[in-house]
Amino acid sequence: MDRKQFNGLNMLKATKKASTTLALSLFPFSFLLAQEDTDFLRSMGKMYVVVAVLAAIFIGIVIYLVYLDRKLTKLEDQIKNHE
Amino acid sequence: MKYWWKALGVLIILYILLVGMLTPLKTGILEASPANLHTGQEATLTVKGYNSNFTLEKEKLRAWLKMDSTRAIAATRIDVVDDREVKLTFPIPAYLPVDQPVKDFTLLIDSPADGASVLPGGLVVTQDSIDTTKGDLLWVNADISQLHEKQAFTFPYRNILYETIRNTYYHVPMWMAMFIILTAGVVFSIRFLWKANPDDDRKAMALTNVGLFLGILGIVTGAIWAKYTWGKFWSWDVKQNMTAIALLIYGAYFVLRGSFEDPEKKARISAVFNIFAYASLVPLLYIIPKLTDSLHPGAGGNIAFGSQDLDNTMKLVFRPAIIGWTLIGLWIAEIILRTARLRERLLED
Repeated sequence: MDRKQFNGLNMLKATKKASTTLALSLFPFSFLLAQEDTDFLRSMGKMYVVVAVLAAIFIGIVIYLVYLDRKLTKLEDQIKNHE
Repeated sequence: MKYWWKALGVLIILYILLVGMLTPLKTGILEASPANLHTGQEATLTVKGYNSNFTLEKEKLRAWLKMDSTRAIAATRIDVVDDREVKLTFPIPAYLPVDQPVKDFTLLIDSPADGASVLPGGLVVTQDSIDTTKGDLLWVNADISQLHEKQAFTFPYRNILYETIRNTYYHVPMWMAMFIILTAGVVFSIRFLWKANPDDDRKAMALTNVGLFLGILGIVTGAIWAKYTWGKFWSWDVKQNMTAIALLIYGAYFVLRGSFEDPEKKARISAVFNIFAYASLVPLLYIIPKLTDSLHPGAGGNIAFGSQDLDNTMKLVFRPAIIGWTLIGLWIAEIILRTARLRERLLED
């Protein structure tokens, strides 16, 4: 197995692991979101809505970073093959 | 230091996170029950306060039921239960000096410790029979004067919004930063068409990419905020729909770039497309939502936050937030640009 394939396989595994972790960590949120009026996000003057917005921004930045990281990895591989 | 602006961006984000999250809200009235009152009744309201300190200087607490800008009923009895709850008794006259069967009242509480707080239009008084002359005779007008104002660094209290007013620093500046960055992007697209320097096209691409990213963050944060203030993540509101269309147009910019083999053709056509996309941005985001009814502040039938709700303390966080998100966006754009330059050099070799 050459290095490039190995990297790709690792990446796939890491992505799978990350997405499973993300889904599991978001699971408690999903049923909180489903409740009306007395739910957690509406408690404390809807403070947790702000927390959810900040979490969304953070997750967005992380996804963007992963996307940029993968583009850069592809380019590095191209440079390596070129040499 | 060459990268001072990146450090500045990080510091500003840190500042808006700390000050934006830690500053308390002003005192407000969460609810008053019962909300339906009748004429000729000695009404006792149970009022729940938000961030209130009713027990502080409770003998100086005052309360009114305001009918309009000149007429009000004063509370005859004020029983403080605790810091967050107070019972108010109002003598409602047998007839009101208005010819409406149902009249809405605004509850106003003044406290030397917390300042004045209002529950706008939260209470209705039903008249069993209407007689405005008797109403005028029976009316004892209470004078509302010498209201207190709390001197503290606080954000405004607004019903329905409550603490989510802080999203003003995390949702709205995304769009402002997106606008600034997309404007920079279109400037480079125009410059490319003028000077045909391939690096201008790369700059336009990098900036537009970040602009689209900020727009997606804006629409996602907006949907979360909407769920807890408008009721649904997506209300098919004109503002939401038009921003989604604007983002799809910008998404098409990248689909277009991916569909050309010839780099020169790709750069030229995408520069022209970017100008059209940018030209559609202002009508989609600002003009069309202003023309029809929208739930969104600043759109049709709804004043912007800026004119009324964005007070001076909020501006101290909101304005740096625009600069902060823009700088972070420029940082990411710079990384995309450098990656694109490396790829270009690889292709040249």
